[in-house]
Amino acid sequence: MAARNATCAFCGLLCDDLEVDVDVEGRAVRPLRGACERARAAFATLGTDAAAQITPRVAGRPVSVEAALDAAAALLRSKRRPIISGLDIDVAGMRAALDLARRLGAVVDHANGLVNYRNLHVLQEAGAITTTLAEAKNRADLLILIGDGWHRRFPRFIERIVAPEAVLGDCATPRRIVTLDAIDDAARSALPTGVEHLALDAPPGRLPAVISMLGALVDGQPVDAARVRGVASDALERCAAWMRAARYGVIVWCAADLEWPHAELTVQALARCIRSLNRETRFAGLPLAGTDGDLTANAVQTWQSGVPLPASYANGRVDFDPPRYALKRILARGEADVLVWVSSLSHAQFPKPQGLPRLVFGRADVEIDREVEVFIPVATPGIDAAGHLLRSDNVVTLRLPRLRESGLRSVASAVAELSSRLA
Amino acid sequence: MLIKLAGARVIDPAHEVNDVVRDLFVRDGRMVAGPKDGERIDRTWDATGTIAMAGAIDLHTHIGGGKVNIARALLPEFSRRDVLPGTDVCAACAGGPMPSTLAAGYRYTAMGYTACFEPAMLPVNARQAHLEMGDTPIVDKGAYALLGNDDFLLSQLATGADPREIRDYVAWIMHASHAIGIKVVNAGGISAFKFNQRSLDVDEPNAHYRVTPRQIVRELARAVHELGVPHPLHVHSSNLGVPGNVDSTLATIAAAEGLPIHLTHLQFHSYGTEGDRKFSSAAARIAEAVNAAPNVTVDVGQIMFGQTVTASGDSMLQHRNARHGRPGKWVVMDIECDAGCGVVPFRYRDRDFVNALQWAIGLELFLMISDPWRVFLTTDHPNGGPFTSYPHLIKLLMDRSFRNDVLASINPEAAQMSALAALDREYSLYEIAIMTRAAPARVLGLEDHGHLGVGAAANVVIYEPHEDPETMFARPRWVFKDGQLVAERGAIVAVTRGSIHTVKPGFDRGIERKLEPWFARYHTQSMASFRISDEEVCECGQAPRLVVHPCRAR
Repeated sequence: MAARNATCAFCGLLCDDLEVDVDVEGRAVRPLRGACERARAAFATLGTDAAAQITPRVAGRPVSVEAALDAAAALLRSKRRPIISGLDIDVAGMRAALDLARRLGAVVDHANGLVNYRNLHVLQEAGAITTTLAEAKNRADLLILIGDGWHRRFPRFIERIVAPEAVLGDCATPRRIVTLDAIDDAARSALPTGVEHLALDAPPGRLPAVISMLGALVDGQPVDAARVRGVASDALERCAAWMRAARYGVIVWCAADLEWPHAELTVQALARCIRSLNRETRFAGLPLAGTDGDLTANAVQTWQSGVPLPASYANGRVDFDPPRYALKRILARGEADVLVWVSSLSHAQFPKPQGLPRLVFGRADVEIDREVEVFIPVATPGIDAAGHLLRSDNVVTLRLPRLRESGLRSVASAVAELSSRLA
Repeated sequence: MLIKLAGARVIDPAHEVNDVVRDLFVRDGRMVAGPKDGERIDRTWDATGTIAMAGAIDLHTHIGGGKVNIARALLPEFSRRDVLPGTDVCAACAGGPMPSTLAAGYRYTAMGYTACFEPAMLPVNARQAHLEMGDTPIVDKGAYALLGNDDFLLSQLATGADPREIRDYVAWIMHASHAIGIKVVNAGGISAFKFNQRSLDVDEPNAHYRVTPRQIVRELARAVHELGVPHPLHVHSSNLGVPGNVDSTLATIAAAEGLPIHLTHLQFHSYGTEGDRKFSSAAARIAEAVNAAPNVTVDVGQIMFGQTVTASGDSMLQHRNARHGRPGKWVVMDIECDAGCGVVPFRYRDRDFVNALQWAIGLELFLMISDPWRVFLTTDHPNGGPFTSYPHLIKLLMDRSFRNDVLASINPEAAQMSALAALDREYSLYEIAIMTRAAPARVLGLEDHGHLGVGAAANVVIYEPHEDPETMFARPRWVFKDGQLVAERGAIVAVTRGSIHTVKPGFDRGIERKLEPWFARYHTQSMASFRISDEEVCECGQAPRLVVHPCRAR
């Protein structure tokens, strides 16, 4: 048994202070310190000896990697309109996936493409003022927390960023925290003690109205705060006063929490409010993201091709068009004839569209139904392979070292071997 | 493999060769004197009547890193209009004002550029910068690490740290991020913006750290000089784009106290406040100061009319200038106790008084700064305009009557306020070769680049002479990179991978005793996570070689 440092790949925070032990044969890996429940769940199934020895399958039957790659190549050769998705992979994996996409003339989108597009859409319409984890940690005197993703989806956000042991010099001022939505006891108890906490307790569905109202109040428009049903008007006014008084305010949200039609309009209202506050003071957005490699896939696509996801490489040209190429829409309209799912971080179930053949590069512990044509297990970055991922703030890229020796191929090498068969 | 390029008119200012017909020989990617006794020439290229120069070097071009990628994501409407189809050798990608890494590599190469230097690599974002440069094919790359707004350095200066520790820290950053130079952007100002300061003059203290830009520039210039890093401190001065910033630019030159500094995109820092609109050219005063200060090199950052996007570390000034941007969407970021960035699209219009005068100011600087070894051809890509406009810019410098024709077509008030009409200097091909090859190689310390002497990297560009320099420079007949033909008449014929150029100045590792707890307490990654190893940077950069240029500590 050997304790060693590890960087966790299982949410966008990429905590690099985990301690894990790797057993004598160098196979089973389990976290000792620093792992949140999310990380522990991932290590519990991925870190086992069994997961390290999983074999590829063709039509449900175990085969060699070579045979699986041959079958995958044969499947792709017989198809004309592939879509490549999943893409919860590292930088090198995404480089290889894009090579494959160009070779196939495929459509490419991340599994969470539509969720990610809520932020991207607003960026492309209006721009943004944002900050990063260390800035928020050291400078924020007011944090406005939207939804509960800051606890549920990013379990160590409060510990590492909102209530750290130390902050820079006298930048440290007593923090104020506002939670906009009604949150459960678990989220509430995650908040630090000894700070001023204002809970607006907005009922489900009221957030867009709350944010519009706050924007208007901050701007000093003649509005009646009592018109937001279910939220106390004095609390709204107090929140707006805190926002104006903040020296460095930060608004935190997770696009995945904004589950209502046209959620991008809420992000846009946030962006407008932040811009307005910056006329007098400093304020910034901190959209939490990066989980399942969403920022990584989008960044590599954007730098290599000049446009973000979703995109098509059909006819030897790159084309960015979210309404046309989003995974859900392509599947709903039946516009693909094969689904290539390239995945290494997420444990979520992947789509099973009726009658669409599927080729899956997947996490070793993923459940594969018998209808999957070809399954090739691949290494998860930070466990079975080294890899680079972009962190939540879209600024820091970390290298996740390999923790153990296993037979699992990296996404990059497995996908490249498939591409070379199609040359 | 021995290659002969026969009969070209060679222009190689590093060896004072000006338009001399001679044969060039390349063996295994290097320039050689000729065949050894009895050695067979494997291939001869008939270059009779052509002009041969070394591969061009762009020492200031934003090609990789977080803000560059934000700029790409921000503007799909322009990328869509400039799609590069896939070919047998090139991958499908998009161009636009902020081209994809692939398009940048292809287009630089097709124009005869063989090395590009990213001038604003944030140390916390260094991995991404190297990853992006790694996906920029063919050309060699290097980057300058940004310092001077990071909380560590400012806190050290604020508490009067020993200059040796500053030096060790600068060297440590260069090792950890694999930089070839150090850049400072709006010294102290990006940090000041985080404390809600909206402007910062050269002698004004940062509201939090009480350190002035003058002090930061001086200490960094000294550290870089004493470490023996060949490239002087690369300075983006205070007050970018602000009318009257000529004073802060002159104060910045003085801040170096005679030590070498490089002033970048000088055009954006050469503004006066004369005239009805309180905006005028101060190019003459700036040029006079530069001519008189042999420790100073500059690049111009010429603006070119048309749509572009500005991407800068200068969050303070980008936020201030964002209201002038078109289309009206922009991004400003505070970044990780390290720096910041601002991305603002601009459409420079020749009928607009300010834009027209900016254009004239850039050209005035080119023409008034007398020594081509100290002024480099840049548009601060893409901030003044995309690098694809270089051939047009060369024509403006080489052809006075063409320049005057354009001058007659711009905003007349601006034309009247500019001294440009009276400047009759025309750059020669030899001078263009200096400012795009020999001089940038020298100022970066690239001993085997920027010339065609024995031992140099065999980066050779073969141009067909043409009465229109724009035509000549836009599509060279052949471009050889490390001895291999990579482009022919504007088309990429082979895709190779370029090296990463760095320096590794010596320093005392004891500085890590300060840095490790600093990272642990204030950052959101450990010092070990931050540091990039040699092996890793080659993997990120997909580079066949990490070239470490020597430093001579002083």
